[in-house]
Amino acid sequence: MSVADVLSVMPLILTGVGALLVLLLGPFLQRGLVYCLAVAAGTAAGVWGALYPASYTPAIPGISFSPLARYLVPIFCIAGVLTLLYSHGYNDRHRIEGEEYPATVLFGLFAMCVLPCATNLLTLFLALESIAFAFYILVAIDLNRAESGEAGLKYLLFGAVAAAFTAFGISLIFAGSGSLELSAALDFRNRAIMSAGWGMILIGIAFKLSLVPGHLWTPDVYQGAPAPVAGFLSTGSKVAAAAFLLLLLGVAAPARELHVPLFALSLLSMVLGNLAALRQNNIKRMLAYSSIAHMGYLTLALLTGTRDGYAAVLLYGAIYTAMNLAAFGAIAALSGDEERARMEEYSGVGYSAPFRAGVLALAMIALAGIPPTAGFMGKFFIFYSAVKGGEIALAIIGIISAAISAYFYLRVVVHLYMRPAETTPPQPASPAESAALFLSAAAIVVIGVFPNALLHYLGTVLR
Amino acid sequence: METIVFYILAAVTLVGTVLAITARQGVHAIVYLVTSFFALALIFYLLGAPMVASFEVIIYAGAIMVLFLFVIMMLDLGKPEKIQTPKLYDWCPAILLLVVITGSMGVLASRAATPLNAFAGISVQEFSFTLFKRYGAAIEIISMQLLFALVGALYLGRRR
Repeated sequence: MSVADVLSVMPLILTGVGALLVLLLGPFLQRGLVYCLAVAAGTAAGVWGALYPASYTPAIPGISFSPLARYLVPIFCIAGVLTLLYSHGYNDRHRIEGEEYPATVLFGLFAMCVLPCATNLLTLFLALESIAFAFYILVAIDLNRAESGEAGLKYLLFGAVAAAFTAFGISLIFAGSGSLELSAALDFRNRAIMSAGWGMILIGIAFKLSLVPGHLWTPDVYQGAPAPVAGFLSTGSKVAAAAFLLLLLGVAAPARELHVPLFALSLLSMVLGNLAALRQNNIKRMLAYSSIAHMGYLTLALLTGTRDGYAAVLLYGAIYTAMNLAAFGAIAALSGDEERARMEEYSGVGYSAPFRAGVLALAMIALAGIPPTAGFMGKFFIFYSAVKGGEIALAIIGIISAAISAYFYLRVVVHLYMRPAETTPPQPASPAESAALFLSAAAIVVIGVFPNALLHYLGTVLR
Repeated sequence: METIVFYILAAVTLVGTVLAITARQGVHAIVYLVTSFFALALIFYLLGAPMVASFEVIIYAGAIMVLFLFVIMMLDLGKPEKIQTPKLYDWCPAILLLVVITGSMGVLASRAATPLNAFAGISVQEFSFTLFKRYGAAIEIISMQLLFALVGALYLGRRR
């Protein structure tokens, strides 16, 4: 292992060592300093990941800093750092103490950075499981609220079943191909066993991506988890699960057996997710059903199996991260001792907290897919690649369901600006929260207006 | 000879696991599971992996099961569980699983079996070389995962 190898896996070292340092130094440092240390480790890893040249040769057996990793590691790091910035003030108000919180966020970030670097099935599975482990802890971390513990338990039970399915699928692929390399997943000589393995993996990933019918945990977990954690869960872990599928598919068209299950998962998620979100009055439950629908769009692009489709998946991953972090960040920043749960509690907030409400409204407009926000660009490329890839029926259903979804997103905007205030105005936001909100809002607008730079880079990611 | 021993061990493993699942008393379930682990360890030995066999006995049957036993004793869960007789509805997952298993057995049995290469014994050196060189990264990730599982358990254990 040479110096160059160590340098190329530096993002993993920075986040991993950062997590351990936070854990060790936590008891001796002030709370603010601990969060600063965690933010610094995450930022350093992200900057390093964005600047260091990628290569396909493994640095350590099982790990290589591939172009895909170079694209995804900065996105995960941005998500992790923004989560930490949102959490500091939020955890203060909600009395979530201890260095365990920032350390676990960094550990989750470490696992997310490992996932796109994986070159064999074992590392890939362990990374996916480590991400889930971090979130089992983070979802249940609010000891003062019973719902948080309940959400953690639900996530643990569903996650354990999903992990069992994924592990069984990977072991069937190993049995069918005799190898743990990533390319083994495409070796369809033992068709029966390989199809069974892929089926098991799809069931596991459907749970992770919360695709219908594996979506039942999502609303409860989002509702119970602290808002910054729900934001990180809905972005980092979802993009990581999508990357898991992308790595297994190896930028090739999915095998013909996978077409029907992926088609059904995508169709059901888009339709049921959007229809169920219409009836929600709790903003976090609404965002949960909306994330189910968005993962349906993502699956639609995966289903096409074309280069355009995979580029659309990766672009949407980045855009979805910005949109959802802005939404959950605004919810976190607007919370007092308790979170504002019902839509009515957001009435009139647009005038008492114009900046935070503005970011929330922007996030909703982006999620609805209205130009010039990034949400429009993401949806445009997904449906474009779907039509070009021959999935015209599914694309039309997707566009119709996306049009329906505008209702519940814009309902939040209506409450923010066109209803008289019902609750006391929120406390002023901390500088960290304002900075994080500004960054996510800027990302939504910049990617929406200038998507070319990102698209150009994506062309080099997918060989 | 080996084939006969294998089938006996496989039967013991299966029966032990089924009894472990159906046992009403936690302690009984653990004893059945330990039996099944011992049989499984011998199967590993037959496959030419004495290291894995000894780990199976030391770690699974030894450490983990003793830990389970301690937890059951500490929390005083020794009394048999009272459960109602399962309703027709409760059998649905079991029936579904039965269909899946029969289906997969059918698929696997319908094809001619290709015998595997005979297993040569694997030395401790080869085993540890593969484990810590080829899958060294995996070991590191698992260590981090276990550490944070511990941290999380300690933190969440403070909940009243």
